[in-house]
Amino acid sequence: MTTIAVPVAPSRLRRVGSLAAAETRLLLRNRTAVVNSVLMPLLLVALVPGMGLDDRATGPGLLTAAAGFTLVFLTYYNLVTTYVARREDLVLQRMRTGELSDGEVLAATAVPTLLVTVGQLVLVAVGVAVLGLWTAPVDAVLPVLGVLLGAALMVVLATASTVFTRTPESAQITTLPVVLGATALSGLFFPLSALPGDLATVARLLPLTPVIELVQLGLAGRTWDGAAVAGAELWGAALVPLGVTLAWTALGAAATVRWFRWAPRR
Amino acid sequence: MHPSVAPAPPSPAAAAPPVVEVVDLHRRYGDFAAVRGVSFDVRPGEVFALLGVNGAGKTSALEVLEGLAPASGGTVRVLGADPRRERAAVRPHLGVLLQTSGLPGDLTVAETVRTWAGTLTTPRPVDEALAQVDLTGRADVRVRSLSGGERRRLDLALALLGRPRVLVLDEPTTGLDPESRRTVWGLVRGLVDDGAAVVLTTHHLEEAEELADRIAVMRAGRIVLAGTREEIAETQPATIRFTLAPGDPQPPVPSGVEVVGAGPRVEWHTRALQPALAQLLAWAAAYGVVLRGLQARAASLEQAFLAVADTDTDTE
Repeated sequence: MTTIAVPVAPSRLRRVGSLAAAETRLLLRNRTAVVNSVLMPLLLVALVPGMGLDDRATGPGLLTAAAGFTLVFLTYYNLVTTYVARREDLVLQRMRTGELSDGEVLAATAVPTLLVTVGQLVLVAVGVAVLGLWTAPVDAVLPVLGVLLGAALMVVLATASTVFTRTPESAQITTLPVVLGATALSGLFFPLSALPGDLATVARLLPLTPVIELVQLGLAGRTWDGAAVAGAELWGAALVPLGVTLAWTALGAAATVRWFRWAPRR
Repeated sequence: MHPSVAPAPPSPAAAAPPVVEVVDLHRRYGDFAAVRGVSFDVRPGEVFALLGVNGAGKTSALEVLEGLAPASGGTVRVLGADPRRERAAVRPHLGVLLQTSGLPGDLTVAETVRTWAGTLTTPRPVDEALAQVDLTGRADVRVRSLSGGERRRLDLALALLGRPRVLVLDEPTTGLDPESRRTVWGLVRGLVDDGAAVVLTTHHLEEAEELADRIAVMRAGRIVLAGTREEIAETQPATIRFTLAPGDPQPPVPSGVEVVGAGPRVEWHTRALQPALAQLLAWAAAYGVVLRGLQARAASLEQAFLAVADTDTDTE
C-alpha cells in the first residue's frame, strides 16, 4: 500500500492568514463597504446621546448598545450574506478543494468582518472618550469576553442561517428572526426587568441577550434586572449568560456541521 | 443487454501499486442513484478517462474521489487513504479541477495564485505557475476581466500549484479554444511523465484518445465499457466498404461477416477484418473485379462510445 509522505505543512495560522488577507483585500476594494464600516459607529456615537434615552447616553450604555448592534447588524448579517454569496459564486467549493479544512475556510472568510467589528467598537470607545462619557469598567474581562464569545456565536449563527438562505438578497428575510426577534428582546431597547417574569426568562434565553448581559455586567456592574453587583457576585451573575451563550454557540456549530451546504442546490 | 467488458488489465508501463482505488462505488441523492457500482484504479504515470454523456454520473463519482462528498456505498482510496475522512493526509498530494468553480472577481490573477500558494504545503513558485498556463502577461488583471478560457487556465494553475501526485480533472478543457486545449494536454502529459496519476472526465472523444491510457465509458451510473482505446474500439465490428460496377458478380460473404444494406454499394461488418479482407481481395483478383472506393477500417473509439453511451438508460 502506498504510504503518504508528510512534508511540513504550513501552520494553520499561515494557511488561514493567506486566505484571510485576500478576503480583507477584497473588502478594502469595496469602497461602499469601507465607508459604511466607518460611518455606522460614528452615527451611533453622534445620534444616541441626542436621543435623550435615560441611561443609554452614558458611556457604558453607549458601548453596550454598540456591541449589540454591531454584532447583529454587522457581524451576523454581513456574514450570512458573505457566506451565501461565496457559496452561490462557487467560491466556497473551490476553496474546499485545497488543503484548508472546512473550518479554516469558514474562519478565514469571516476575518474581515470580525476585524471591522472590532474596529467599530474601538471607534465607539474612542467616541465615548471624546464625548467625556468614559467611565472605567467594573470588570475589564467580562465585556471583552462577552464580545469575543458573541462574535463566535454570530459566526456560527451566520453559517447555520445559510442553510435556509438561498441568495444574498433573501438574507434580508431569513436573518429577521435574529435581527428583529433576538435584538428586540435583548435588553437593548428596554430593560428586561420591564417584562413579566416568564417572558423575561424567555428573553434571557435568546441568543443576543446573554451577550448584552455580559457586556453590561462588566462595563456598568449591573445585572439584567438592574441590580448593582461587584466582585465575586459579578462573576456569579455572569454564569447564566455565559452558559446560554455557549449553548447557542454549540447549537449553531452543530447545525452547521450537520446541514451546511458548500455548493448551490442543483 | 448492454455490452460489458471486464476491467482492463493494468497497463504494462505501470507496475507500481494503484494510487487511486475505487471499488463498487455507489452514490445516491434521495431516491436517485447517480452512481451504481463503479470500480476502477489508476497507477502513477497513468491517465484514466471517464467518458459519458451529461448525467452519466461522472461528476458524482469524482466528488467522492475529491473528498467533497461521502459515498453511499463502496470504498474509495486515494494514496491508500479515505479522501473524505483522512482529507488532511490526502489533500497535500491531490490536485482538483472542478467542472465549474468560482474565484473572487476582484483579486488579480497573481494575487489569486499567491493566496492559494499560501495555503499549500509545497507550492510551485507563482511565476512558474503562471507561465505553465500562459498567464504571465495577465498577472495583474482582475479575475473578473479574464475570458472564460483564461479563467479555466487559472483554475488549472491552482489545481497544479501544490505539485499533486494525483490529479482529478472534471472536464478540464470544456470551453477552451483548440490552442489552449493543446496547452492543457501538454501540461497533463508533463505531469504524468513525472509520475502523477490523472483521473479526468470528458465528453470530447478526441481528448480521451489523445491523453488517456485507459478509458471507461459510463452510462446511467455504471461503467459499461472499459479498457485501452484499442480494446474499447475492438468491442465494435470493423467495417469494409466498396462499390461494385453494374453487371459485376456478387462476392461470396466470408463467415462472420454481417452484410449491411443492399445494391451496388456494399458494406460489411466483421470482427475478423483481416481474413475477410483477404478473401475479398482474392476473389476480386480471381474474377477481375474492381472494388471501387474500397475501405477497410477498424472500429473507432467514437463508434464504440456512440454504441453504448447514448442508448436508452435502463430503468432500475
